[in-house]
Amino acid sequence: MGKGRPFLEVFTCVLNEDYEFPILEFLVFLCALCTFFLAGLAAVSDFTSDFTTVEAFTHNLLSSSTWPLIILVGIPILKNIAYGLGSDVEKGIIQTLFSYPLKRGYILTAKLLSALVIPLLLFLGISIFGLFLFFPDIILANPGTVFLTYAAQLSPVLLTAGLLLLLALRLKRGVLALITGLVLCFMLFVIFDSLANSIAYATGSDWSLKIYAVITPNLALQEYYVGTQGFSSEIWAPSFSEVLLYLLAGYLLVAVVFIIGYVYFKRRLRI
Amino acid sequence: MSLIQVDDLAKSYGKLVAVDGLSLRVEEGDIMGLIGPDGAGKSTTMKIIVGVLKPDRGCVRVFNEEPWDNPDVKSRIGIIHERAYFPSHHKVLDYLQRVCRIFGKPESRAREVLALTKLEDAYDRTIKTLSAAMLQKFAIAHACVNQPGLIIADEPTSNLDPESRSDLLDLILKLHHDENVTFLISSDIVPELNKVCDSVAIINQGKVWASGGLTELSERLGARTTRISTDNPEALGGLIRKLEYVSRVEVDSRGVSVGVLAGDDERLYEDVPRLAKEAKAKIVGIETGTASLEELFRVAVKYGQGGGRRWEKADRS
Repeated sequence: MGKGRPFLEVFTCVLNEDYEFPILEFLVFLCALCTFFLAGLAAVSDFTSDFTTVEAFTHNLLSSSTWPLIILVGIPILKNIAYGLGSDVEKGIIQTLFSYPLKRGYILTAKLLSALVIPLLLFLGISIFGLFLFFPDIILANPGTVFLTYAAQLSPVLLTAGLLLLLALRLKRGVLALITGLVLCFMLFVIFDSLANSIAYATGSDWSLKIYAVITPNLALQEYYVGTQGFSSEIWAPSFSEVLLYLLAGYLLVAVVFIIGYVYFKRRLRI
Repeated sequence: MSLIQVDDLAKSYGKLVAVDGLSLRVEEGDIMGLIGPDGAGKSTTMKIIVGVLKPDRGCVRVFNEEPWDNPDVKSRIGIIHERAYFPSHHKVLDYLQRVCRIFGKPESRAREVLALTKLEDAYDRTIKTLSAAMLQKFAIAHACVNQPGLIIADEPTSNLDPESRSDLLDLILKLHHDENVTFLISSDIVPELNKVCDSVAIINQGKVWASGGLTELSERLGARTTRISTDNPEALGGLIRKLEYVSRVEVDSRGVSVGVLAGDDERLYEDVPRLAKEAKAKIVGIETGTASLEELFRVAVKYGQGGGRRWEKADRS
């Protein structure tokens, strides 16, 4: 018996469970609404003159019009990985899935495709399409900037998803993993951000910003293209190759976290 | 041919030793019961056999293959877990049809197994709306979808009402006779296993204390039930209970049933006339037979918790 059919069946089963009607439809609607509203707003307010280069404008346009979408797609990711996977292990649904003729790795892949890849594809598809409708020339003329900006924005989302995966597998409790996941997100994107900036301000050194840029490479990209509104531009001005390095380091970190999750799931997860 | 071969199996959870040097054989066409008290290591053993738990030590072969994370083994066995949970938003028939597709079976098989488990009326219900008993039946139907040659059932009768339990035991016998399905069943409700099992393995403290056919086991372990017919069972039973070598005393209106180990039945024969005199009871008859599975289980629990020397001796024989 081939693996393709059982895998697809398990994947659709997980997908149905994660997005009971009309969750996915509502998510698509909200993402589209946000994109069209923010891109439309950017189109009517002429702020191209605020930026010295078209790359800087492109980057800012993408960053400012996609961050609400990241929060929107972050909600199902948080719910499906932390709560969903944690609950599946807690209740024994994973045990049922393990009784099917598939290796454990395929089961986790099906779970992650549903919980992570589907929301991210929605995010990319809707935001690129929406921005292309309003700014076709800019999007087509700067594919490199578009790619880098999306890559930098998705890195912390993927890192968070990987950490949530580890939490869910380790805690094996849906609600506990969800609460811990929320605390983790708050720490990563609020506390650490403030901490990195405060340390840089207090010491006049850029090392804290550099470390934080591995977690959120968009910080380095922002500094490179437009500089931030605060003091950090005076302290830290990364070069383009440095930005690429932070991006690479960020994705390496993501890969390490997911590899740990896979190995743990395949070899050590007790149910 | 052994469908399941387990040798020197060991599994610990931190400092807790769940299974410790357990060995077991389940032959093709057999219905084997796994009995033992709570925490004896039954569920851990079953999880290792179905390949969802990795042993710390020992060799496990199912259909002559190592079961850990092995899709080939999973496609040939049916599993009923102790706690049955399924993706809850699906409808009963839809979900089983999906399971049919996963195992490469025709979708019509879903209706067949639902009919087998008498769940025809629940086709359109979502899984989350099923009662505990229906969910257990659904778990049994789920385990039968792939027409397995071996079904491994951990407490399959839990949550079932008496009628459903009886139906399940009939279903086990039907699958065994019609499709030659081999079963490994664990249950705390020993009389049920007594009805269907060809052989049993008694597990305690992570080891198989004894295994074999019921009669054979009774002989090997020397467990006996002595029936004493008397006109004053209450008084006589009360005095017999005080004997330290007696494992069980059951009193009914016509007499007393006493569980003892072989050898002790002779002591009981000597003690009964004295106790009858003391209780002012008239002995009408006294006879000793082989113990029921329940009796064997009771003795296993009793000696497993204290000095188990006699059982270890019996097991070695």
